[in-house]
Amino acid sequence: METTNASDNVSDSMLGVIAPQQSNAGDVSQQPSVSPGRAALRRFFRDKRAVVCLAIILFIVIGSFVFPPIYQHIGPVNPASIGAGKGIGPTDYHEPAFENLNYSDGPSTLLPLGPRSLVYPLGTDTNGRDLFARVMAGVNTSIIIALTVEIFDIGMGVLLGTLAGFFGGWLDTVLARFTDIMFAFPGLLLIILIAASLGPVFDSRFGSGVGRVLLIIFAIGLLVWPLMMRFVRGQTIQLKEQQYIEAARTVGGTNSTIIMRHIIPNLASIVIIAATLDILGTITTEAGISLLGVGIQPPATSLGLMISDTIASVYSNWTEPLWPAAMLIILVIAFAFIGDGIRDAFDPRTKD
Amino acid sequence: MGALLSNLPAVIALLVLLAFMAYVAIRVNPGFLIKRVAGLVFVVMGVSFITFVLGFWGSGPNGIEAVIGQCGTRCTPNILKNLENVYGLRDPWYLQYGHYLERLVHGDLGLSYSNRNRTVWDILGQGVPVSLTLQAFAIPLTIIAGVPIGIYSAIRAGSRFDTTTNSVSLLFFAIPSYLLIVYYRFVMVFLAVRNLPHLPVSGWGDPIDIVAPAVILAAVGAAFFTRLSRTSMLEVLGQEYIRTARAKGLRERVVIFKHALRNAIIPLVTALGPTLAFAVTGAFFTELLFNIPGVANAAVASITNKDLPVIQGVVIMTAVAVALMNLAVDVIYGVLDPRIKVV
Repeated sequence: METTNASDNVSDSMLGVIAPQQSNAGDVSQQPSVSPGRAALRRFFRDKRAVVCLAIILFIVIGSFVFPPIYQHIGPVNPASIGAGKGIGPTDYHEPAFENLNYSDGPSTLLPLGPRSLVYPLGTDTNGRDLFARVMAGVNTSIIIALTVEIFDIGMGVLLGTLAGFFGGWLDTVLARFTDIMFAFPGLLLIILIAASLGPVFDSRFGSGVGRVLLIIFAIGLLVWPLMMRFVRGQTIQLKEQQYIEAARTVGGTNSTIIMRHIIPNLASIVIIAATLDILGTITTEAGISLLGVGIQPPATSLGLMISDTIASVYSNWTEPLWPAAMLIILVIAFAFIGDGIRDAFDPRTKD
Repeated sequence: MGALLSNLPAVIALLVLLAFMAYVAIRVNPGFLIKRVAGLVFVVMGVSFITFVLGFWGSGPNGIEAVIGQCGTRCTPNILKNLENVYGLRDPWYLQYGHYLERLVHGDLGLSYSNRNRTVWDILGQGVPVSLTLQAFAIPLTIIAGVPIGIYSAIRAGSRFDTTTNSVSLLFFAIPSYLLIVYYRFVMVFLAVRNLPHLPVSGWGDPIDIVAPAVILAAVGAAFFTRLSRTSMLEVLGQEYIRTARAKGLRERVVIFKHALRNAIIPLVTALGPTLAFAVTGAFFTELLFNIPGVANAAVASITNKDLPVIQGVVIMTAVAVALMNLAVDVIYGVLDPRIKVV
């Protein structure tokens, strides 16, 4: 298995799988008292581009949770009415899912496709919804999905990868066969298939907004963890042969202590590298399938869904898809540079 | 003779396949081959089972929703009963899957649920040539653009060219193709409203239609090949035999082209395998957003129509292509680099 599949080498070398016996001797001698993890962090923070990108991402991630609740209380109360005879407050017109503004008989700020104004910093969409609020909600959806998928990915990957790599045996064989099947699937097609066939079930069980988010998390998570598991498994097999594992065993370490104390901490670098790439992949996949119309469904919002709503009408209204596309590309670029910086930092061999 | 000429691409493909199979049969040891074929059967079984379960679940009670679409408002209980019998929808799921496997062994992918009197082969036969035409432009463009840039930036490692290429290829590797297409549309709309010359944003049929999708596909693929060939070339340039070649006083050109390049190409073959294997279904967003009637369009249409047999067909076709390409890569790898005994 290890030697026959030559195509394994590609993904491994792209990721920069780390051979522990070849740790960078130069770094150790320069900073004798620093742990490898701390040294990697130091190397990461020396990479200006990655640090700037990390700052941007942190701002966006935290902002997507903190800003919407604040933003929804900013702005004047509009005396116009939607049938009920009440004024429309900012909690309504800054609500990303609020579609009724289309039927508003109020002043021009509430009309669909409204221009940029103080109330609507990015204007409004065809239904009269605030674009800025929708973009923030879309980013929030992306981040929530990406983080949840990552928790699932790392949990499954590390758990099964270490077990398969450390013990081998039937579990290893079963998992290897399973990954064979998963790698032969056209991944996007599988996600769309899951989303289309289980969509109604999840909708009726959890409500149409939350259900789809859960479903997308489930579908993408199912697709990404086999790769993580394979990286972890490969690294575990390499680690298992190290002398310090043998030493730990001679002083009476049981399997569980060896795995918990000596294997899992040493997986950190490869898991971090792979997870950064997976976050990027998750964000783009989610936006992609929402763009196709099988992902997130209204009234929930996603960057991909916003692009898909308007991409057909770019000729008449090109600013509306521009904002989500711009946001998405900022996320992608920032995560790509962070991933690059992390790989260089945690695996000094790949840097030349 | 005329029939032979008109089917020339298919004939050539068949001959290549036969030659490859003959080579494999002679050179590769039978145990390895049996293992791979068993693996292929297993993967096809697994993939088709997962698809079947998901599709069966999704297409309502026994796929009847998709079939109702065939007769629409004219559906009478009698017609429906007939259709159910034709597709065997009355059977329990395990019997349906068993029948499906039985047909699959005979190379029959079954009838489409939502299109009357059309086999899955028929639908795939329409989509595959379109997708392959697109890839026939995109993949060579990918390699022509990607590999030389990667090799050159490895030779000039650390230079301004190298760092720029590194960043650009990192971005194109990370940016999904649909975002490129969205931005491409912005640019084209910008040009169109100012009456400047521009390319079409969607469509298929005119030769000009193929330019933008092929270039966008190639840009994404080339980024991957640039990074890969750079890494590979750097690794080769660090080898002892390169130092020896330089120490012998060989000219740099000879060292690079004759000693380094040949060895640096080998790992790229491994990457080409999956690229070719996913060629048919890989250009998903490109085909959909450019409205190209390829396999991806057929696949998504079949998912929305709950047309389980077509979904099965696309998925199985991809799985077989992946397995065959991995085998081909392993065999070619052994030929190119005799140090590696893979087979």
